[in-house]
Amino acid sequence: MKGLGRGAYLALVYAFLYLPIAVLIVYSFNDARYSLSWQGFTWGWYESLSQNDDLIDVALNSVIVALLSATLATIIGTLGAVALYRYRFSGRNVLNGLIFVLIMSPEIVMGISLLLLFVTMGLELGFTTVLLSHTTFSIPFVVVTVMSRLSGFDKFLIEAAQDLGATEFQTFRKVILPLLIPAVVAGWLLSFTLSMDDVIISFFVTGPDFEVLPLKVYSMVRLGVKPEINALSTVMFALTLVIVLIAQSLLKERK
Amino acid sequence: MSDHALFKRVAIGTIAVWLLLFAFAPNLMVVIASFLTRGESEFLVWTPTTDAYARMLDPLYLHVFWNSFYLSAMTTLLCLVIGYPFAYLIARANPAVRPYLLLLVIIPFWTSSLVRTYAMIVILNTNGLLNTLLQSLGLIDEPLELLYTDGAVIAGLVYTLLPFMVLPLYAAIEKLDWRLVEAARDLGARKVRTFASVIIPLTSPGIVAGCMLVFLPGLGMFYVADFLGGSKTTLIGNLIQRQFLSARDWPFGSAASVTLTIVMGLMIGLYLLAAKRANAKVEV
Amino acid sequence: MKKLLLVTALLAALPLAAQAEEEKVLNLYNWTEYMPKEVLKAFTKETGIKVKESNYAATEEMYSKLKAGGGGYDLVVPSTYFVQRMAREGLLEPLDHAKLPNLKNVDPKFLDKPFDPGNKYSVPYLMSHVGIVVDGGKVDVSSLKSWLDLWKPEFKGKVLLMDTARETFAVVQKALGYSANDTDPKHIEAAFNKLKELVPSVKLFNGESPKVSFIQGEVSIGIAWNGEAFMGSQEKKSLTYVYPQEGVVLAMDTMAIPKGAKHPENAHKFLDFIMRPEIAAKISETLGYATLNAEAVKLLPKKLASNRIVYPTDEDLKNSELLEDIPTETQGLYEKYWSELKVGKKVKGG
Repeated sequence: MKGLGRGAYLALVYAFLYLPIAVLIVYSFNDARYSLSWQGFTWGWYESLSQNDDLIDVALNSVIVALLSATLATIIGTLGAVALYRYRFSGRNVLNGLIFVLIMSPEIVMGISLLLLFVTMGLELGFTTVLLSHTTFSIPFVVVTVMSRLSGFDKFLIEAAQDLGATEFQTFRKVILPLLIPAVVAGWLLSFTLSMDDVIISFFVTGPDFEVLPLKVYSMVRLGVKPEINALSTVMFALTLVIVLIAQSLLKERK
Repeated sequence: MSDHALFKRVAIGTIAVWLLLFAFAPNLMVVIASFLTRGESEFLVWTPTTDAYARMLDPLYLHVFWNSFYLSAMTTLLCLVIGYPFAYLIARANPAVRPYLLLLVIIPFWTSSLVRTYAMIVILNTNGLLNTLLQSLGLIDEPLELLYTDGAVIAGLVYTLLPFMVLPLYAAIEKLDWRLVEAARDLGARKVRTFASVIIPLTSPGIVAGCMLVFLPGLGMFYVADFLGGSKTTLIGNLIQRQFLSARDWPFGSAASVTLTIVMGLMIGLYLLAAKRANAKVEV
Repeated sequence: MKKLLLVTALLAALPLAAQAEEEKVLNLYNWTEYMPKEVLKAFTKETGIKVKESNYAATEEMYSKLKAGGGGYDLVVPSTYFVQRMAREGLLEPLDHAKLPNLKNVDPKFLDKPFDPGNKYSVPYLMSHVGIVVDGGKVDVSSLKSWLDLWKPEFKGKVLLMDTARETFAVVQKALGYSANDTDPKHIEAAFNKLKELVPSVKLFNGESPKVSFIQGEVSIGIAWNGEAFMGSQEKKSLTYVYPQEGVVLAMDTMAIPKGAKHPENAHKFLDFIMRPEIAAKISETLGYATLNAEAVKLLPKKLASNRIVYPTDEDLKNSELLEDIPTETQGLYEKYWSELKVGKKVKGG
């Protein structure tokens, strides 16, 4: 009975999370451009989507940037969190402060100030600048998540390892990192999500040769939701599920 | 160099260099900009002034700040209330299904948040799904005005920010030493008490982290409020965005951003101080 | 040996050829959904120049980005009042009219305007205006004559306003008998006070896709761009557009080449291409905005040319006014008032 209650709660929250997705999937088959009411079934939006060949390139750009920036941010953020937690060094508070400032920065402020920075540095706007920016705004999310797991960490474990002659790096790899894995994964997932959803910062730091999907979607949706976008979201959602399932079966086989 | 020092240097060096280059440098520009003057044909003119900060004192902007605080605080509270049991249940689930449960939380968020917010409009609209459902069940006669209300805005914000609460909470709850919980139970503590005096304190770093990751970004977020609230309330995020774009007033936009950061920094500083004191008391 | 020589010669000649001719690329920086894909394809087919389009949703965004040094674009689509500002600030490249023979097709009424004398920097693209969008199924359209009709108590809770201070103030200033470009703070304050009376009637602010709210039946009357009324009326027949007697607020979108563009040659080719009558007509037909190309108008299907939402009569445009560049000071004042209008409605607990 108790288990049932728990299951019901989980299901309820998942339903809340997936309801909008369900709605957009249903509406991607609705034969109406703007209307809310059901006007009949159509494949039309998928057809017009398939003719929009650059959307696929753009979606690919976004996935690549999200994968890379999330990974980069997770590495830097995890190392950073461990450093900030373990070591006392001058400037530690400054780094803590900067992480806080990054979380606080309104997107437009970060977008414009990073644009000015890149222009000053003479970097060409495009893939590199987008990657640097996405990594930057993801880092604090990794640091905060990893930190929350580190705090209250059993310091005896570290001492024991070092008494046994482990170097600092070995301690990190063999003792600290394994315990951090859930937080590292959570941080990576948050970073990937942030990157896939960023509009305003990308708008300012990208150039004509590198378009990202959220930006494209954003400008299309703002000017009236387009059923093609619903169709695109449905396709991407389905692809995500397929990839997850394949990854799962591969992992199972390895085991 | 010993391997000892090397790891420490690399760890500190990486984050330090990155933050100095991409957080300190651009934000220094923002601070400088907030003390400059706007020009007719240049965004910034090199005439130092504190005029932008003086203008911030207008009660109008106090209102704007308050509105944002209120919405973000409500959102954080709701996220915590919904997210804590949720994260708890995931962390307590069978380890084999845990990764999937976690992945299931985040997958919806890989769809553009704007597209999902639009889907919420479809649900909350006067002639939308929720009203149609309630009407056909005979629960209401007239459609409810759900869209363009504070309730809709908060629901949208909770929806958008929930994973930023759930994931840190999960990471903190998952490492909980359940022997301590058992011990409390063995000592005769009732469930509620165990929860309040053992589980909550032990997972408090996760609670703080989750609240930070929801509350702080929530303050600057405005497009959800614009779409679901009909753009009827100016929030800090709108205010700053408008200063940079339509008003072409970079000094004022920068000053608003700097003020927001400082105010929040002070609030968090005070909170940490209070928390330390409280902890010290308990230990004594 | 001979072959080798030939290859060497070819290789040596290559950089020269590249120098003489631009790379076959054009970076177009445009409003979203403001250039039909077919037109871009036709241009590529004819010239071999590939068009890469990036989008923005508000001119201010494009302007801020270019001005902050974010570049790499060959063509931008600023509204009239931004042309004035961008040209003055040196953000635009002068056009070479010798490469734009099709400029002759453009209606002289729209050439050589004060915002760009002699069309030194810009060529007209499409025209739109702000009027009253109304759902004829809910409102008696024949009773609407003036901007002030929006203030009628019967519309309480049913009004849509745009979310841009500039255009909305321009409308209210006209409603009060001032110019849309009036910068007198007293007049702007009067407009603010008038607008404050309207805010309680407002259901939502949305200037970017008001058609959706009209189609979904959330609002029945509002201030919006004519393009929204036109597109909305394609889906919901009862939607229509009213030209108030005080005059609509006009805006012309133009195309211009930003300073430092890498492919100005291609940009000129593209500009000339879209000024061909059949192409301009195609654009107007696909997008539902009025072309300023006199030769193109003759080619339009009758149904579109006679649609008063898109192609107003001279009578409709009586008292209309073109938005002009205003000082930053005034724009700042608008924004402050705009924030003030929107904190009037506080969230609970305030």
